[in-house]
Amino acid sequence: MKSYQIPFDRFLSIRAEVLKTWPTGEGLTLEDGLAYQRTLPPAKNFARAMATASREGRILLQPRAGVALIPDHIKLLQYLETEGEADLLPTTIDAYTRQNRYQEAANGIQKSLEARASLLNGFPAVNHGVAGCRQVVESVRSPIQVRHGTPDARLLAEITLAAGFTSFEGGGISYNIPYAKKVPLAKSIEDWKYVDRLVGWYEEQGIPINREPFGPLTGTLVPPFISHAVAIIEGVLALRQGVRSLTLGYGQGGNLIQDVAAMVTLKELAHEYFAREGFTDYELTTVFHQWMGGFPEDEAKAFAVICWGSTVAVFARADKIIAKSPHEAMGIPTKEANAQGLRASRQVINMLRDQKFAGGADFERETDLIRREVRCLLDKVYELGHGDLEAGTIAAFAAGVLDVPFAPAACNHGKILPMRDHEGYIRVFNRGQLPLSAEILDFHRSRLEERAKAEKREVCFQMVTDDIYAVSKGRLVGRPR
Amino acid sequence: MNTPPINIVLGVIGFDCHSVGNKILEAFFTEQGFKVTNLGVMVSQEEFLQAAIETGAKAILVSSLYGHGEIDCVGLREKCREQGLDDILLYVGGNLVVGKTPFEQVEAKFKAMGYDRVFGPDCDLATVARLLREDLAARQRAD
Repeated sequence: MKSYQIPFDRFLSIRAEVLKTWPTGEGLTLEDGLAYQRTLPPAKNFARAMATASREGRILLQPRAGVALIPDHIKLLQYLETEGEADLLPTTIDAYTRQNRYQEAANGIQKSLEARASLLNGFPAVNHGVAGCRQVVESVRSPIQVRHGTPDARLLAEITLAAGFTSFEGGGISYNIPYAKKVPLAKSIEDWKYVDRLVGWYEEQGIPINREPFGPLTGTLVPPFISHAVAIIEGVLALRQGVRSLTLGYGQGGNLIQDVAAMVTLKELAHEYFAREGFTDYELTTVFHQWMGGFPEDEAKAFAVICWGSTVAVFARADKIIAKSPHEAMGIPTKEANAQGLRASRQVINMLRDQKFAGGADFERETDLIRREVRCLLDKVYELGHGDLEAGTIAAFAAGVLDVPFAPAACNHGKILPMRDHEGYIRVFNRGQLPLSAEILDFHRSRLEERAKAEKREVCFQMVTDDIYAVSKGRLVGRPR
Repeated sequence: MNTPPINIVLGVIGFDCHSVGNKILEAFFTEQGFKVTNLGVMVSQEEFLQAAIETGAKAILVSSLYGHGEIDCVGLREKCREQGLDDILLYVGGNLVVGKTPFEQVEAKFKAMGYDRVFGPDCDLATVARLLREDLAARQRAD
């Protein structure tokens, strides 16, 4: 089997450059990070928590959270742990750090100190450095994951992993296409191979670190087969660098049957492609993201969206749920609102834990459809890469064979348009250059025609717009007003 | 309808990459008959200004969804004046600050920064287009 792993001496020479990009990276040694990770109890290890819960059939709950200043961030996480009963904690990174704008992040820290409130939308972990991040790790009982949206997360990974964080979200595709404008795909993939290599190094030393490619992508009407194809590719790229604990994600679409079918096929297809690439020694778990699109402003309605997401997650046998808060429509939640979202989710999980989703003919149709759609895409990716997944991925995005709806990145084709059918399933309206078979496209089209007929209008772009804002206005399918 | 279309500049300011609404706004204002220069996501104040000067835009529509609006939006009005764009309309909309804040407070804050109109995340686009036309007409009468 061909080795794709970055050679260790090459890794070290890149590392020397990466650490120079901000003063908090200077003098950071791998050995210091490793020694610190070894002092942490197993209960603070994210990879172990995921594996144990998955084995025991428990769903873990995790919020998103991050503020500018260390003491406030600690208070926030402690509150989510005690009052929110979170199983796993996050540290969401601010948007300046995500773009490697550490000077702007420093300005945001200063302004937050002056305002006595966070003016940043997350925790600037690079600016706070290893010592600052360790204060956070030492102030809570649960494992912490870094959640962000960073095309070049090499320094962020070095600092946070050395500081005792044990899970790192993202990937070369999922943290470029939805999160950047001008970063070439080959560059972000290369930079994420470094992150995965770093994680692989910790694994080699006996410290498991969880990796989670970002499943939902743009979080807006993404058909499951598109996010599945990306998740599987990022999974393979991570495994190639020595990652062993992988959590693949999917963002709630809104139709129960499609969502359960998506979660079931995600795990199944990932195992299939990982085996094809020669991997057997890994731990695969799944995460279900509660609704990632626009939320209703009314907090009571927002709770309904949150609880519906939890319901689907239980039926879909997710290993983890990323929860939303009733403040979602207004932006960053207070700690109280964040904990409320967690508690509402917990109630649903506990009430449903012993119940099963029955399946049925529609469920079989959808699982079969997703399998065929994903194979259409990945077959073409392999073909474009002459057998190599990474080369094929870069070529596929350039050709629109992989295309993420509504994404900001210039390296994304941006031609595909999704739309809901009459029952709220997400289908493809404009296929762009997606290599779906004629049979599959006919099916999508017929489902959309069925909706258009019921709404007495032609299948049109207005329906896409109506669908995007439908949930925030109180329903799933964007019916005409 | 022989009047030439009105140029407007559209974009998401700062390091914000929320792209969905931006694409909808472009489609909407184009359909409404405006000539839209859409700068997309992650637009600096300088890029907004440059595009406004190059296209002779009558209005700049700034979006911010990620909470850093308070930091990113300050100073745009002053930069417009420095560049001689004294009359240009500045609209701003989205989730403009970190955390749930009464809209009146947000509106007052951004109006003090020199924005002519401030919108929340759920504003009605047809209303925005109507206000934009009225404000543009008022500016023209004042000339």
